[in-house]
Amino acid sequence: MSIDQSARAALAVRGVRKTYEAGSAAVRALRGVDLTVSDGEFVALMGPSGCGKSTLLHLLAGLDRPDEGTIAVAGTRIEDLGAQRLARLRRRHVGLVFQFFHLIEHMSALENVALAALVAGARPAEATTRARDLLDTLGLLDKSGELPGALSGGQRQRVAIARALANRPTLLLADEPTGALDSDGAAEVLDLFQRLHRAGQTILMVTHDREVADGAQRRVRMRDGRMLADDEPSLVHEIPASLRAGT
Amino acid sequence: MAVETPSEARAAVLAVARAELRRRHRALLLVALVMGLAGGIVLGAVGLAERTVSAYPRLVDAVRLDDVRASVPSDQPRFAEAVPTLPGVAGSRHADLWVAQVEGGPALRFLGIGAGELAPADIATPVIVEGRAVDPAAADEVVVSEQIAADSGFAVGAELRLTLLTLEDVSHFDVGFTPHGPSATVRVVGIARMPSWGNALPHTLAGPAFAARYADTASARSYFLRLENPAGTAAFTAAHSRAEQAAAATEPSIVARYVPGSLAFPRLDVDPAVRTAEQALLVGLSLFALVVGLGGLQVVGQGLLRLGAEGRSAQRVEAVLGMTRGQRVAARTLAALPAALVAGVLGSAIASAAGVLEPLGSQARFEPAPGFRPLWGLAVGGGVALAALFLLMTAGATLLAARPRGIVAGSAPPSLPRTVLRTWARRWPAVLLGSRLAVHGRTARRGLPAMASILAAAAAVAGIVAAVTVGASLTRLVETPQRYAAGADLHLVDAREPDVAALVADPRVTALATTSSATLRTSDGRELGATAVDDRKGEPPLELASGRAPASSGEVAVGPRLADELGLGIGDVLAVRGPGGEQVPLTVTGTAVLPTGSSAALGEQLLLTADAMDLVQRSEPIRDAYIYTAPGTADAVYGELGQNLEIFPREVPESVRNLTDLVRLPELLALVLTLVAGTGLVHVLLTSARRHAREMAVFSVLGATPAQVRATLAVLAGSTVVPALVVGVPLGLGVARVLWHRIATTVGVAGDPAVPVGVIAAVAGVVLVGALLVAVVPGRRAARTSPALALAAG
Repeated sequence: MSIDQSARAALAVRGVRKTYEAGSAAVRALRGVDLTVSDGEFVALMGPSGCGKSTLLHLLAGLDRPDEGTIAVAGTRIEDLGAQRLARLRRRHVGLVFQFFHLIEHMSALENVALAALVAGARPAEATTRARDLLDTLGLLDKSGELPGALSGGQRQRVAIARALANRPTLLLADEPTGALDSDGAAEVLDLFQRLHRAGQTILMVTHDREVADGAQRRVRMRDGRMLADDEPSLVHEIPASLRAGT
Repeated sequence: MAVETPSEARAAVLAVARAELRRRHRALLLVALVMGLAGGIVLGAVGLAERTVSAYPRLVDAVRLDDVRASVPSDQPRFAEAVPTLPGVAGSRHADLWVAQVEGGPALRFLGIGAGELAPADIATPVIVEGRAVDPAAADEVVVSEQIAADSGFAVGAELRLTLLTLEDVSHFDVGFTPHGPSATVRVVGIARMPSWGNALPHTLAGPAFAARYADTASARSYFLRLENPAGTAAFTAAHSRAEQAAAATEPSIVARYVPGSLAFPRLDVDPAVRTAEQALLVGLSLFALVVGLGGLQVVGQGLLRLGAEGRSAQRVEAVLGMTRGQRVAARTLAALPAALVAGVLGSAIASAAGVLEPLGSQARFEPAPGFRPLWGLAVGGGVALAALFLLMTAGATLLAARPRGIVAGSAPPSLPRTVLRTWARRWPAVLLGSRLAVHGRTARRGLPAMASILAAAAAVAGIVAAVTVGASLTRLVETPQRYAAGADLHLVDAREPDVAALVADPRVTALATTSSATLRTSDGRELGATAVDDRKGEPPLELASGRAPASSGEVAVGPRLADELGLGIGDVLAVRGPGGEQVPLTVTGTAVLPTGSSAALGEQLLLTADAMDLVQRSEPIRDAYIYTAPGTADAVYGELGQNLEIFPREVPESVRNLTDLVRLPELLALVLTLVAGTGLVHVLLTSARRHAREMAVFSVLGATPAQVRATLAVLAGSTVVPALVVGVPLGLGVARVLWHRIATTVGVAGDPAVPVGVIAAVAGVVLVGALLVAVVPGRRAARTSPALALAAG
């Protein structure tokens, strides 16, 4: 990819390395990772457990810092940003979805979504309207007053996705978003991601599930902290048959 | 290790227990030491409370307190002989009473002396706490009460030179006299302890030899009676009343005008101040034990829950290997056994050591057996209970750790009211999140539910506010003699008009009031003390607790204790009987605290006008004078008058003196509450970063800056303590108001509390500012923690 192309990319990662301590041992989680995700692309990042997928995702979200290499999100280099500026970048450009949802248990679905907008500086009325619209779009308006504990796994993950989208981020990062869901819930989430992708949302989804990854536009693979060659681009952006709801 | 047979199960449990013990013995021992320490202090407090509250009844048993105590003037010998033969009397002992003038003191003093039969010894025999009892054959030995020993400085070995009063001397109390009885020099050989002194049981007791030597100058005879049925005093009282009336007709007494016969029921007529002190001390010690106990349980619970949580993954492995939940719990409980024993032994040792503590406050003067008095049953039983509780809590923490993580379900908590606050809260997400976490924080993880922290903090604040308010009220009472009607510098007993006139003319005297005190009888037969006050110079203050002083012969002001006992309020009518038996209605105009004089209890007197007194008085009034002197002149006036007159410097009534012993207790309680609750609150706030690590990480992921994370934890701290202050301060003031009114009324003084506004404001400020400062620590920790790590751990 050329420099021009990198500059236009939603995400550009070059030579990223990360080693962390696990007890007394040093674990080389990333050993020189390169990755580019273009605007509007839906990429599935695959690989076995421990290959460094989640570590990479945390670096991309600015939750951790690389030892070496560069990361550009929406054209902004983030590896040297201070905590304050990283936080601001996350508000504007990054939405994060987790395997275990990580909703705030004592806030309603609406408040969980609105909180993200409030953090980004939206006025209360605007945040509430935006949260309501998102929940409506995701089919959860009738659940907006419910606590997360009253929702199914799929519903909770949709609330988490709505929260991640509350500030219209440049990049939606998802870490095993279907990992804690049954097949119906996984299908719901994957269907939603595809709808978002069709609407132009850039998505990088970490998964170790081949069938889920098949729903993405492009698949990239990692092994032992390194990026392997891209898989062939998927020609069928449909939910795999085994994940379709009701099958 | 697949567990299948019972022997394999036992082996697995033992193996896991050994592993747990190896890995966690230090942590378990530390938690056990906290448990033993807190438990021992609680057990010690329980033991001390038992010793304090049981001091009075144990002394009653130790002295074999009489059921009835009657005194009869010595010029009514037939009535005196009849008393022990009255219906219902099962046994009796008698003593004769003398009045003696003490020679050689700084001021004129009179002393009551009782002497007579020492047998039977199972009725009213004081406990000797220092020295020895009198030798029955020695006419020159006496024992004195602790009270008179303290007030007059009569130590063991002291010699008293006395001149006994004859009957004629006694009958001239109101006009003055020179004693005409024999002189006697007696030596104090012991200090005696008794639940009730006074009247028929004087504070100085001699033996049979004294009684025999001075028999012809005795002024009255006392009987200490044991009734067949102590509860059935009515028959005896009726018979005594009939005998008294008959004696009045057949044996007119001169002495009775000044030393009237008396009838008392020592077992029933317990000074309410004793009960009040018992209750106040019991409440104080219970609160102390409760606070220490709850604080200890919180720390121990937190520690065991954390140990349980740390072993969660190990439990998962054990479960996969086939161990049941019961076996996993049994293994960890077994591993905790040595620590539980340490907790039990330590608690038991501390509880035993607490046996050196004497009863608290005023109750110490009722302890019949001073010295080491451990409650072995409590110490041993408490130690076993502590060990069992430790094991039970370990099992509970293991069970909780084994439970699948719970999630909160249900509808959303109610939003903040649609007010400025709500808008404000939503505008700043840190406020929204922090306040929500404070009220609805996580409950299923380590630590106490968030609301429990707020409620505990509110209870602690209420306790501290109540304690400092009661303490301030107590201090104000004991430091303000006017509140117990002892504002006068000097008290002249049996004040004669020439002496009063001379004092009025004395420029050193700034104010002077004379009182006339007598007894009257209510329409239902109850005898009450009444006083009329005459301001002779200046404006001597009158302590009005409520309403106003009586202004006419149909009005009365009632002492606070009496008003409470009789249920009288302003506007009520108290019906009394005149000397001829006619009804005299008196309208209550207020409550007033009057000087106790020489015998009346504080707060139990009636204040009448002089006219009303003439209408209802049943005995010859005793006239006293209360003298207010110019600054710096009291000692000189006392020194001059004391040569010829029975004059006393300011005296503190016994019920107030009892409270003086308790002044430090509320302050101590407030201090303990502050330390324990403060430690708990600091612990809760310091651990808030760990408790809410996941929420803070999520907040960071959403784009919150480190400053917003710190602010969230500061808001959480503020949201914990502000409701605690909003609820705790008024609650504490309410509790203090009720408690102090109860104490003051029982003592006999005005029940308005002294609210230490400055102290309470300081407490509130320290709590709020302290919480915000403490929140800086977890705030910085949370801001530094990597959200990725926190989410991975959460």
